[in-house]
Formats: sequence, C-alpha cells, structure tokens
Amino acid sequence: MKPALAELISVSKNYAHIPVLKGVDFSVYAGEVHALLGGNGAGKSTLMKILAGLVTPTGGQVRIGGKALSPATPSQAQAMGLYLVPQEAHIFPNQSVLENVCVGLPQAASAYRSRVKDLISRLGVTLGLDTKAATLEIADRQIVEILRGLIRDAKVLILDEPTSALTPLEVETLFTRMRALRESGHGLVFISHKLHELRAVSDRITVLRDGHVVHNEAMEGSTDAEILAAMSPGVTALSDRVAGKVTSEEKVLSLSHLSGEGFVDISLDVHRGEVLGLTGVVGAGRTELAETLIGLRPRAGGDVMLEGRPFRAAKPSDAVKQGVVHLSEDRQQYGLFLEAPLYWNTSSFVYDQLPFFLRPAREQKRFETYRKSLGIKCTSPDQPVGSLSGGNQQKVLLSKCLAAEPKLLILDEPTRGVDVGARNDIYRIIEDLAATGTSVIVISSDFDEVVRLSDRIAVMAGGHLAGELPAGASTDAIGQLAFESKETSHA
Amino acid sequence: MLNWIARDRVATLLLVTIAVLLAVGVAAPGFLAPSTASMIWSNGLVLMLIALGVFPVILTRNIDVSGGSVLGLSAITLGLSLNAGIAMPIAIAMTLGAGLAAGAVNGVLVAVLGVPSIVATLGTLGLFRGVMLIATGGEWIEELPETLKALGAKSLSGLSVMGICTGLVIIAVWAFLRSRRGRWVMVVGDNRAAARHLGLPVKRIEFLAFVWGGGMAALAGITFASQIGFVPNQAGTGIELRAIAALVLGGISLLGGVGSVAGVVIGVIFFTSIDTALVFLKIPAYWNDLIGGAMLLTVLLIDGRLRIALEARDRAARYHRGDAQAPQSQKLEDAA
Amino acid sequence: MKKLVMRWEVLLLALLVIELIVFGMINPRFLRTSSLLYGTSDFVQVGIVAVPLTLVIIAGGIDVSFASTVGLCAITFGIANFFGLPLAASLAVGFGTGALAGVLNATIIRLTRLQPLVVTLGSLYLFSGAATVLSGVVGANGYEGIGGFPTAFTNLGYAQVLGVPMPLFVFLCFSAVLLVLLHMTRFGRLVFQVGQNEEAARHSGMPVARIQMWTYVLTGLAAALAGLLLSAYFGSARVDLGGATLLPAITAAVLGGASIYGGKGSVLGTIIATFVIGYLQQGLQMSGVPSQISSALSGALLVIVVAFRHGLALLSAFVPARSSQTN
Repeated sequence: MKPALAELISVSKNYAHIPVLKGVDFSVYAGEVHALLGGNGAGKSTLMKILAGLVTPTGGQVRIGGKALSPATPSQAQAMGLYLVPQEAHIFPNQSVLENVCVGLPQAASAYRSRVKDLISRLGVTLGLDTKAATLEIADRQIVEILRGLIRDAKVLILDEPTSALTPLEVETLFTRMRALRESGHGLVFISHKLHELRAVSDRITVLRDGHVVHNEAMEGSTDAEILAAMSPGVTALSDRVAGKVTSEEKVLSLSHLSGEGFVDISLDVHRGEVLGLTGVVGAGRTELAETLIGLRPRAGGDVMLEGRPFRAAKPSDAVKQGVVHLSEDRQQYGLFLEAPLYWNTSSFVYDQLPFFLRPAREQKRFETYRKSLGIKCTSPDQPVGSLSGGNQQKVLLSKCLAAEPKLLILDEPTRGVDVGARNDIYRIIEDLAATGTSVIVISSDFDEVVRLSDRIAVMAGGHLAGELPAGASTDAIGQLAFESKETSHA
Repeated sequence: MLNWIARDRVATLLLVTIAVLLAVGVAAPGFLAPSTASMIWSNGLVLMLIALGVFPVILTRNIDVSGGSVLGLSAITLGLSLNAGIAMPIAIAMTLGAGLAAGAVNGVLVAVLGVPSIVATLGTLGLFRGVMLIATGGEWIEELPETLKALGAKSLSGLSVMGICTGLVIIAVWAFLRSRRGRWVMVVGDNRAAARHLGLPVKRIEFLAFVWGGGMAALAGITFASQIGFVPNQAGTGIELRAIAALVLGGISLLGGVGSVAGVVIGVIFFTSIDTALVFLKIPAYWNDLIGGAMLLTVLLIDGRLRIALEARDRAARYHRGDAQAPQSQKLEDAA
Repeated sequence: MKKLVMRWEVLLLALLVIELIVFGMINPRFLRTSSLLYGTSDFVQVGIVAVPLTLVIIAGGIDVSFASTVGLCAITFGIANFFGLPLAASLAVGFGTGALAGVLNATIIRLTRLQPLVVTLGSLYLFSGAATVLSGVVGANGYEGIGGFPTAFTNLGYAQVLGVPMPLFVFLCFSAVLLVLLHMTRFGRLVFQVGQNEEAARHSGMPVARIQMWTYVLTGLAAALAGLLLSAYFGSARVDLGGATLLPAITAAVLGGASIYGGKGSVLGTIIATFVIGYLQQGLQMSGVPSQISSALSGALLVIVVAFRHGLALLSAFVPARSSQTN
C-alpha cells in the first residue's frame, strides 16, 4: 500500500455556521495526478486551501508526508513539501519576475537564476527574468505561479485551475511537465471544471458537490455521464434553450472598426431583443471591449452607433443615461456595495432620480418588486448584500441594472460563482428581458453557456474578432475560433 | 525626461539639492564651505534617524506618526536616569529599551490586533507624549551631564559620535534590505496576501518594523539630548511629518513595496539643506512652517503626477505586449 | 445594519452616563447644572470639527489639517477686522478661508491620488505656517494673537440662547443639520456609498470627486466656525487655537463609530463621543488630576477603543470571509 503523500481525513469547514465542507476524505499518492472536480460553490478551493495551510479546518485532520500539519500555516506546508498554485496569480508588482518566483526560498534570488531560466525554457514560454511584474499580463502571471511551484520541487503540487489563461500549446506543455513530475514520484492535484482537460492527464478523479465527496474513482473507469451526474444530479442539465426564436432586423448597436486597450478593429451589430454571446478565452479582449463601450477605458479609434445615432460615453453614467448598462465581471469590486442594504444597491445606478430627502419606504417597495420577479432569497431589504450567496448577489446586481431601464444590457460573466439553481433563474431572466425588447450582450468563457443563451455568437481571440456563429453552433466550432487553431484541444 | 526622473528619483533629487545649495551659495557668501556640509549633516541627524526608523514601517504599507513622541519619551528617560546618577551606558540601554518598548506597543496594536496603523499611531502619539509629561511633571529636563553632550560634539573630522552612529545605521539598513530577509520587508508591502501565501511571517515582519521604528526614535532622542543639552516638553513634536515628507521626496511610496535607503538619505539631506540655507539667508524662523508645508505639497503634487504617468506607461506596456502575443504563439506552433 | 448602529450609540450613551455618575461621586460640584452647561464651552469646538470630519472619514478620506485651519481662519478674520472691515465682511473672510482650505485639500488629493493623510499632513503645516506669517503682517507675534474685536462679536462668545451657552447652541444646531444631511438625504447616501466602495461608486456614475470635495469643504467651514467661536470667547485670534483639537476630534469620530476604512459612521455617535471625551477631561480636572494628562488621555482613549473593537473582532474570528466566489 503506497503511503499517501498528503491526506485530508474527515475534514469539515464552517463559515459562520454555514457548512462549506462536510467530512471530506481526500488523499494524494506519489506518482499520480488526482483530479478534483466540482461546480461553483462545491468547496474545491476551500478544501485545497486547508491542505495548503491557508485555511484552518473546523474539524478533521491534515497530514503531509505522514505527519500532521502543525502549525497550520502555508510556510509549514511548504516546508513539508506541498505547494498550492492559486487560481489567480499573486504578484509583487514592484519586484522582478525572478524575485517573484524566488520569494520565500531559503537562498537569495540570484542563486536560483539559472534554474529558473532552465524551467522557463522547459515550459516552452518566454519570460524575461528581470521584467517588472506589474507589466505582466494574466497568462504570464500564471506562469510565474507555476514556476513557483516547480522551483520548490514540492513533492505535492496542487494546481488550481491553471489553464484558464493558457493557449492550447501552453496547456499541452504544462501537461507534459505534469506527466514528467508524476514519473519522478511527485503527487499532483489538478482542479478544473473542464472535463476534457482532466481526462488528458489525470489518474484518479474526485467529484465534490455541496461539500461532500460524491465520486472517487480511477479516471479510466468513470464515464463522462457518471461524472456530470455526480456534479449536479437533480438538475442534471441546465434548462434547455427555447428553439425557434426569431430576432428582429432592427439594429440597436453597431460597432465599426472599434479599437481600444486590448482589442483592435471590432465590427459587429446587435439587434433589438437579441442575445449576443461574446466569447473567447481569458485575455481575448472582451471585457476591455465592454469597458471601452461604457466609458471606463479610452477609445483608440472607430465608431459606435446606438439606434442609428452616434454613441459616445466618457464615463459609465453617460452610458447609463443613454440606455447602455454594464454588469461588471468582478461584481464585488465594481458592482456591489457589500456593506450597504439591498435596496441601496438596487438604487445605485439611478441615484439621481432619488429625491433630495430620501424616502426609504418607496425604495424598499421598488426593491420588493424586483425581489419577486428575480427570485432573490433574502430576509429583509435592509440586509447587507454581502450576506447573500453568490447567486443572490448576482440577482441584486441585475436588479440594479434593470432599475436603470436599459436598451442594451452588457453582462460580463453573469453566472460566475453562482450555483446551478440560480443559474437557471438568471438564464430565464435574460430570456424574458430579450423577449420584452431589451438587447443583451452576454460575455462568457463557458462555451456551453454561450450556446445555451445566444441567438448569435461572436468569438474574439487575441484582441480581434475571430468569427461569428449562428445559434446552436457547437462548442467545438467556438473552440476552434477562440483558440485560433486548426484542430481542437481534445485529448 | 520623465522617463529619466522616473527611473532615478534619487539622482534627480541629488542634482536638485546641489543646484539649490549652489544657488544659496551665490546669495550668501560663506555658505559653500566644508563646515556647512558638516553642519548640514549634524543638523539632519535627528531627522535622519527618525526617517530611517519609519522607513521599514512604510515599506510594509503601514505608517507611524508617533515617532516624535517616542523621541521625547526616550529623551526624558535618558535625562531622568542620568540626573538620578545612573551610569551612562546603563542609561543609554534604558533609553533604547524605552524606545523599543514603545515600538512594540505600536507593533502589537497594528500587527497583532489589526488596528489600522494611522489610528493606532495617532493614539500612541498622544499616549506617549502624555506619559512623558507625567514623568517629568511638565518640567523641562535641564543640566544634562557633559558626557552626554560629548556624544553630540563634533570632533576634528567634523563628525560627532552620534554622526558616526547614524552613518553606521545607514549602512546596516542598506545591507539588510539587499539580503533575503530584507527583501521580505519590501514584498510584504507590495502584496501582503501574496507574501502570506508564500509563507512569509507577515505579522512578525510588521511587528518588528514598528519595534525598529521605536528603537530609531530612541537613538534620535539620545542625539537630540546630546546636541541640545536639555529636553524641552515639545521635544520631537512634528518631526514625524517632516520624516514622512523626506521619505516621499526620496521616492519611497506610501503604498509600500518601493523605496531605497539612498532615497531616505537624500530626502533628509534636501530638507536639512533648505533649513540650514534659510538660516544662512537670515530668513526669520516663523517662515519655516510655511515654506516646509508649501514644499511638501509641491513635492507631493509632482510626485503624484509622476506616479500617475508611470502607471499609465506600465498599463500601455501590458497592452502592447498583448498585441505581440498572437504572432509569438504562431511561431511556436510552426516549430511544433 | 441600522440595528447595529443603534446599539453602538446606546453603548456610548451608557458610557457617558456612567462617566457623569463616577465623576459626580468624586466631586459633587461636577454635577451642578451650571458647571455641566458652561463646561461645554471648553470642548464643543472639538465636536464642531469632529462632526464634518466624520463625513470625511465615512467617504473614505481623512483630514488632519483642520487643527491649523481653525487658527488660520481666526487670523484672517482678525486681519480683516484689523483693517477696518465691517463685522459681517470679516466673518465672510473667515468662513471663506475655511472653505478655500477644504477646496485646496480636496483638489490636491484628487490631482495626486495620494493618501489624504499625507496631503492633509502637508496642509497642516502649510496652514499653520501661513497663519504665523499672516499674523506677522499685522505685527502680532505668532502666539500673541490679534485682538481688538467689536464688542458685538465678543459678546457672542458669552451669549445665551434658550438658557444654553452660545458655543453649545451653535454646536447642537450645526450637528443637527449635518445629522439630517448625512442620514436622511441623497447626499448623505452618496457619502456612505463612496466610502463603502469607491470603484463601484464611480462605476455607478456617482460624482465621487464632488462628494469628497464637499466633505472637505464642510470640514473647513466647521474649522472656521470653531475658530471664530473661540476668538469670540477668548477675545483674541491666535494661530494655535485649534492645536488641541486634532487628536480629540479624530478620537470623537472613531469613538462615535466611524471606521477609518470608510463606509461606516454616525453623526449621533460623534456628538455623544464629544461629550464623553469633553466631560472626561473636565471630570479629571475637577478630581484634581493635573492638566498634562489631557493628551495622554485622548491618546489612551483612542488606543483603548480601537484595541477593544479590533480585539473583539479577533475573538469572533469566524466571520464569513466573502473572499473567493468559486470554491
């Protein structure tokens, strides 16, 4: 019986009496890649953070190399030979790449220069060791994180969604490296929600749902159907698309040769009552396009017409006044006032319609109508929005957008961090909106979601428009355009 | 030009200081003498020590405005113990101890309890000053022994014992920041969460930074007492503001993670040169605050605009690389 | 959220009552109506600046320059008066100076995007220096002060309205206006939201710079008000009139419930806190404690309050961290 390199025994975690993990067993053996899969909110990241010493469990044990993780700190876990490569890279902006990789290692950074250079070339990427980290973009930042794991020669390496910003070639190189590590006796944990990637490189798979382990088998013996069923049983699939929708010919938005930070020469149209899916990989420029439209970023060139008239917004409030409303990708940073009551949030786009002497009762009534129509689960309109779940927070944000009565609604990753039930609700809301004549642009990296929602699909890659597809296109077709390759990245 | 100023704040500031000194030398003959250099150095010692003390705190993205009060507290500890007949080395040890303890109080408040450093040190500013006043009963400490004043007196080389000490401290800080653990201090301020994630003892680093600040303020108190010869009630009042101004001037960012010892030194020298020059030019003392404040605000304005321009440049670099990405991945594909 | 706020102010009120009882027991003369009422003239100026300071802090900023603005406005008023301007015009000069000081602070903060603490540290210096130089213009040495005010003015310092001394009356009226402004108007709502999440506020189109400007201007005006009241009370305008208000005013705002990170605070809390701090000082004096204690007190009080608040938060360590969205 091979000894486990790292184990979690009956681990549970509560956040303020809300159980997030319930008695989870998880182990990593030498010479294997163990995949960890689960939907949003299943508990994957929390579980791994407990293993890495970043979070203290409410119950259960953490063992690395047969010994208990004590004290439960990241430095102890790293000293015991375990490293967690986080989903979003932690960068020291004012330090060089080399310093970034080597912080926390026993010797000064200069001692590792040649090793880091070697690792970089073996990863198949180019990265200047002395570049200031603030100038790196997302894909390069992730590579810095991966380098951190590799240079530590950690016996156990946990990779939390490492491929979200990588091109297929970079992904394949990463997989080669992972296989090499596996051969030399390391144990790897690979977290992802992309099934085909997990199949390509994993030996075992564990599926988490609602804080429990619901599936723990060898990869070969698990079919796709089994795994999907394990992830979300009752709501086996997200509700299906209503077929046979006819969209109007009238153009609401027209972009011609629009260029800005991170994108060039974008020309596309959005019709009235249409849902346009704008997709691509992270870094393709979609969010930048949206932010440029509403005035958060400067325009470099090109024209925008709204309902046939020239449209220009110097700041978001201009866009809102003209009927273009944006729901930001990072709802906690840009969209929500977490400590403020729900009805404050709902009123925040249209605050200038409020009377000078406030009438909270009226605002609360307005919020109530949205609560019913959007299905927001809350105890009172006075609740701070930070106390709601991800899905309900998103609905509150939607109520904020709808209060502004937009002609065109731009939703950036509207179901990120949202559970399946709330997802269906949000899809229904989008469809209802479109039916009443509001045009919607849905920006999403989830190809399935894009196919589910869109009347038309626009795919961006590397800052330009790679192509347009009709409703019901296959995710493969989207993938081809998004990755700009002749073949897809299937295993 | 912007590029060059941005890239080397310290060199720019050095040039500006020299320019100002030359200008003053023209207006007031006798200013440009070697004795002036030694005067500027010794005048700036107290400020230099306080600035060096606050420096690591600011690097970790905290702030410490209690330095002046710790200076006063330390100075009276020294004075009272000397006047009580305690031997000099022990008295100095007690003084340093008082400063380190005060720094530890700040450290516990901020690093352990999580109190925002501005609030914590504003509170201790008042608290320490009050303790000082209680200890002296509101009286100034006078008639300090000659042995103490000797520490502040200049020898033939133009430097005093405290002057040499300060020089040693500067070298020590410089060497430390280049070391592995010194790098830790800088990255904690750059991205605290990342530092924690990488296993750095963030709270300990922040705590120690405050303790260091207290220790340096104690050294400053010793220097102050030895140079002036007595300890008034308002010893040290307002000095932390000037220290922060000098740091900002020298390129140290208040957001943490950025700064160099050279910047600290040159910032302090600049301020002290201006002060000394004002005296030479026989400008009455009550202009000092006005000129100091105006200068600080001007510096902040220029520094702020510079920083904004730099950030825009970094941003542009990010997006420029974005365009270059696509052709690059193509090349690798061909190679495959 | 309202429930939480209410709780803190009730706690403060209880603290005030306990304080009065304790000091009353030590020295019964403390509780005489006349000493309670007239004693306030010693400290309401702290409250007058602390209340708009609360707004500044709620909106995410901070201002330490008001301590010098108090003196600066008093001096400009004194100079205007010295040169023979009618009382109303001189008062306008004083208030105008305060407003301008606020505008200057807000503008530099906006232009440099630097921390308000540092900018206002600089203007603390600048204003105090300007006041000193200006007082030299009329021949007054910096700490002597400018005098020669019309009796109509100085009588104001001792007047009574509805049986209440003028400074206290002014404080209560001014605070009442700001209370309504912050907690019942759209402007106040925006102040809160700007402080809770400046990025989101900008994204929602809120006029962030304008709101913050107003909070600094209000503080400047309040500093002028305090400076003028003090000048009337003492009969002379001095540069250092506001020096002793710096720490107590910040303590009052923080004690009253304002979070230094912004987004949280209460005018009512600040008002009660002002009385807590003021009577603390007074009570100690009447109990025979020497006066040097005052700065130690405010400092200690601030330290104890925040240590307590943050220590409590540490104890209930399992606060839901709304960090990651994906699990």
